[in-house]
Amino acid sequence: MTAQPSADASGLAVRLPAPLVTLLRRRDSNVFFLLFVLVAAIVFFTIQSPYFFDDRNAFNIGRAVSITGIAAAFATLLMISGGLDLSIGAIMNASGLAAAVIMVDPENSIILAFAIALGISAFIGFSNGIIVTKIGVNPIIATIGMQFVVRGMTLATRSGSALVRDRAFLEIGQGELAIGTLEIPVPVILMLATMLLCYLVLRFTQFGKYIYAIGDNASACRRAGINVAGMRIALYTLSGLGAGFAGIVLAGLTGAGIPYAAGSELSVISAVILGGVSLSGGVGVIQGTLLGVLLVGVLKNGMTLLNINANWQMVVEGSVLMIAVSLDQLKQRI
Amino acid sequence: METQPVVETKGLSRYFKGVVALNEVSVSISPGEVVGLVGDNGAGKSTLVKILSGDLEPSAGQVLIDGAEVHFRHPRDAKNRQIETIYQDLALCENLDIMENVFLGHESYRNPLLRLLDRRRMYRETSQLLEQLAIRVPSTRELVMNLSGGQRQATALARVAKAGARLIILDEPTAALGVNETRNLLDLVMRFKEQGKTIIIISHEMRDVFEVTDRIIVLKRGELVADKRTAETDPDEIVRYIIRGRD
Ligand SMILES: Nc1ncnc2c1ncn2[C@@H]1O[C@H](COP(=O)(O)OP(=O)(O)OP(=O)(O)O)[C@@H](O)[C@H]1O
Ligand SMILES: [Mg+2]
Repeated sequence: MTAQPSADASGLAVRLPAPLVTLLRRRDSNVFFLLFVLVAAIVFFTIQSPYFFDDRNAFNIGRAVSITGIAAAFATLLMISGGLDLSIGAIMNASGLAAAVIMVDPENSIILAFAIALGISAFIGFSNGIIVTKIGVNPIIATIGMQFVVRGMTLATRSGSALVRDRAFLEIGQGELAIGTLEIPVPVILMLATMLLCYLVLRFTQFGKYIYAIGDNASACRRAGINVAGMRIALYTLSGLGAGFAGIVLAGLTGAGIPYAAGSELSVISAVILGGVSLSGGVGVIQGTLLGVLLVGVLKNGMTLLNINANWQMVVEGSVLMIAVSLDQLKQRI
Repeated sequence: METQPVVETKGLSRYFKGVVALNEVSVSISPGEVVGLVGDNGAGKSTLVKILSGDLEPSAGQVLIDGAEVHFRHPRDAKNRQIETIYQDLALCENLDIMENVFLGHESYRNPLLRLLDRRRMYRETSQLLEQLAIRVPSTRELVMNLSGGQRQATALARVAKAGARLIILDEPTAALGVNETRNLLDLVMRFKEQGKTIIIISHEMRDVFEVTDRIIVLKRGELVADKRTAETDPDEIVRYIIRGRD
C-alpha cells in the first residue's frame, strides 16, 4: 500500500500541464468547459445583435428553458444513477392537461389540480420504476412503452382543454416576481429552485451519495446493504414528478392544456448529457445540467435574433451535443 | 457440552442453470475459529460465502446462525446479523473516494432526519481507522479509480473493520497483495481472532492458510471433500484433496 498516487503515474500527465490534468479529472470538469462556452456564446451574440444583451431578453431565454430545466433537474438524478426516462414528454402532457382540465372549472381549487396532476405523474414514474427494477426490463424499452401508453391514454381522454382563467394558475407560467428592479419570471424562479433542491440533495445527503454509488456499481451497493431497488423506484418516481411539475408550469404558460410537450424528453436528456452526465451513470453534477439547459437556450435565442432559421438551429443544437460528448470521450483517455 | 456454532450449513446447494455450483455442503463453524476455505477455481468457494453473506439465495438446504435457521434475502439481512464480507471483486465504487467507500452503507449524519452526511467526521474516522490498521494510502479523499490493487483491497478491508462484525468473510484477500501487504493482512486476521471474531478466509496460498487457520475445509466441484484441523494435516495432504477429492 505504498504505491504512488496515480496522477503522477499517468503517461499523459507529462504532456499536459499538471493543473489542467487536475481540472480535467474533477467530477465537475464539464462545468468549467460549459461555462467557458456559454460566456463565449454570450459575448458572440452581444457583438452580433444589439437586442441580445438585455435583461428582458435574458428572461425570455429563461422562460423558454424553464420547462425543460425543471424536468432536467430530476432527470439528472435519475441519469446519474444509470437510469433513463423517455416518458418525460408524455408525462408533461398528461399532467398539464389534467391540471388545466381541472382548473377550467372555476369551482375547483388549484390544490386539487396539483394533487391530481402530480399524483398521476408520480404514479407513472413509479410504474416505470417497478417495471425496470422488479421485472428487469431495459429502461429504454420500458419508458418508451410507457410513453406510448401515456400519450395514447391522454389523447383518448381529451385532445386539449378550454382556456384556463384562474389567475393563480396562470401566474405559475406567466407571472413575474419583482426582486429589486428586476421582474423575474416565475417559471425561471421555479427552475432555479428545483435545481437548487437537486443540488443540495446530490451534494449533502446520503440519498445523493447513493445516486452516484448506484450509477457506478449497483451490485456493490446492494452488497453494502443499500436498498438499490427502492432507490431506483424513488428516482423514477421523482423523474415523473419533475416532468409532471414541468407540465403544470407549461399549462400555466400557455393558459390551457395543450399536448405541446411530446418529444421534449429528447431536449431534456440532451441537455443533461450536454451538462456532463453519462448514459452509463456515475458521473455528472446539477450545475452542468443548468449550464447545458442555458447554453441551448442562449444558442436558440441568439440564432433567432440573427434570423437563422429553425432548421439550422436544430443542426447547431445537435452538433453542440455531439461535440460535447466527443470531447468528454477524449477526456477519458487522460 | 459443545459450544453453539456461530454459523452452520446443512445440505446447502446452489444451482446455476444446470451448473451445480454447490452440492449438499454441511459445515459448522464455532465462535472464534479461523477457517480456511480452499479448492480449485470454480470449486464453489465464492458461491458458499455469497450465500452466507446474503448475496445469493441457496437452491436447497439450510443456513443456521447461532443455531437458528435464517433466510437471507439481501446482504443487509446478513449485515444485521453482524456478518461482513470482503468479496472477491472487492465491491467498491470507483467514482467514490476511500472514505465514501469505507462508510458506504454505514454513514454518519449531521442531521439524521434529512440524512445530511457528516463528511468531516467520516474523514477523520477513516484516517484513524487506516492508521490503526497500518494501512497507508495517499489520501482518504483519493477516488478508488485512482488506487492500486493493494490499496483497493485495503479500502475493502477498512470497510469490514469499520463495520465491526462478529463473522468476517474474506474471499481471496491476498490475491492482489505484495509481500509486505500480505504480512500486514495476516497480522490483521490474527488481531481479529484475538478480538474473538470468527473468520472464514478463502485463499489459494497454502502458506497463508496454514499460518492463520485453525481448520481447513476443501471444496471440489461444489462438494465438501475434506474438513481437517490445521494442526492435524499438512499442505501436501490438502493439495491432494484439492486435486483428487475424497480418497
Ligand atoms: N452467477 C453465476 N451464474 C452462473 N454460474 C455461476 C455463477 N456464479 C458461479 N457460477 C459457477 O459456479 C461454479 C462455482 O463458482 P465459484 O465462483 O463459487 O467458484 P470459486 O471456488 O470461488 O472459484 P475461484 O477460485 O475461481 O474464485 C463455477 O462453475 C461457476 O462457473
Ligand atoms: Mg471465488
